[in-house]
Amino acid sequence: MNNDQELKLQAFLDGELPARERPAVADWLAADAEARALQQEWALTRSALAGGEPPRPLPESREFYWSKIQREILRGEKAGARAAARRAVPWWRRLLVPTAGLAVLTLGLSVALNYWPPGRQPHVVETALADSGAFTYRDLKEGITLVWLSYPADSGLADDAGADIIE
Amino acid sequence: MAGAERLNSLLPPSVEPMTGNAQHSAAADETLVKAAQKGDMGAFEELVARHRDKIYARAYSMMRNEDDALDLSQEAWVKGWQRLQQFQGDASFGTWMTRIVINLCLDALRRRKRQQAESVEVLNEEAGGVERHMPVMTVNPTEGLERAELRERIDRAMAQLTYEHRTVLILHEFEEMEYKQIAKVMDCSIGTVMSRLFYARRRLAALMANWKDEDEGTNTPDKQKP
Repeated sequence: MNNDQELKLQAFLDGELPARERPAVADWLAADAEARALQQEWALTRSALAGGEPPRPLPESREFYWSKIQREILRGEKAGARAAARRAVPWWRRLLVPTAGLAVLTLGLSVALNYWPPGRQPHVVETALADSGAFTYRDLKEGITLVWLSYPADSGLADDAGADIIE
Repeated sequence: MAGAERLNSLLPPSVEPMTGNAQHSAAADETLVKAAQKGDMGAFEELVARHRDKIYARAYSMMRNEDDALDLSQEAWVKGWQRLQQFQGDASFGTWMTRIVINLCLDALRRRKRQQAESVEVLNEEAGGVERHMPVMTVNPTEGLERAELRERIDRAMAQLTYEHRTVLILHEFEEMEYKQIAKVMDCSIGTVMSRLFYARRRLAALMANWKDEDEGTNTPDKQKP
């Protein structure tokens, strides 16, 4: 008996074989001792299984088992309610907070630029491209300019320079 | 509306209204399901109490582990509550819940299998293994056994099958599902279901026949047809 025949026989015995194929398998079963032996083996196994599934009572009390289920149900319902509440907010309201934040930032920047337009900031620190080691600090309000050099005073570069205050 | 009032509203006028747990324990499953669908958690608790052993036993038979069976059976009840509106009463409530726990167990077993490297033994079993060619058992494995002994042997034999073979046997023999339904639940072809069922039956027969031989202290070759 090959594998196809075995599976066909099984389908026949389980009542799953299409009607048109049944007569041929029935004839074969009647004539083939090996097929009948397999049929008997399955019948014995099936009778053993019928009513042979072990009962397995729950190892927890009704109250304890239910309390865990109830807790999960309530947790799920709370999460669902929160998600539903989020979904209920229209899209334009969800954009309200980031938009308002951006507006406040823009407003602040615009006020700051109005109050201190470029060139009128109370003090400025500059560094010249020609000498990246020299820094200039200008305090426009006090009218002070301070120039300092980042390299040592005894280097050749600083022969004529120190920190001079120009008023 | 409170749970008890909801349930009373579903009772026919000839039935005396009851209160609390007594009312729930006297109601039919269908009545409890309708009440639970309207949000009566007390009715659902009664349904859990009625079917919990069966749902737990099914989870255990598939997972072969008490902790997994407890977790998955509880998860099934939570899912049951969440999907209660989908229950149309085509099958009994117990059958509907059993399908939920079976699906959860299969998901858990698939996840577990993905995590483990597939062994050579499992691959052999998928292909049919040695049982495909073993002699047919003609000995009655249940003969002379008490019911408790028989159940213990079936339990032991089921534990020795891979989860695919065990599941297909459970679904066909205990849940009385057709090949097509099993294929859908297990997400495989009908051919695979037939092949797994064939192997599982043969392996189960062989295991039980061997234990019977051991009991009798013999290994009689005349009980097997070559």
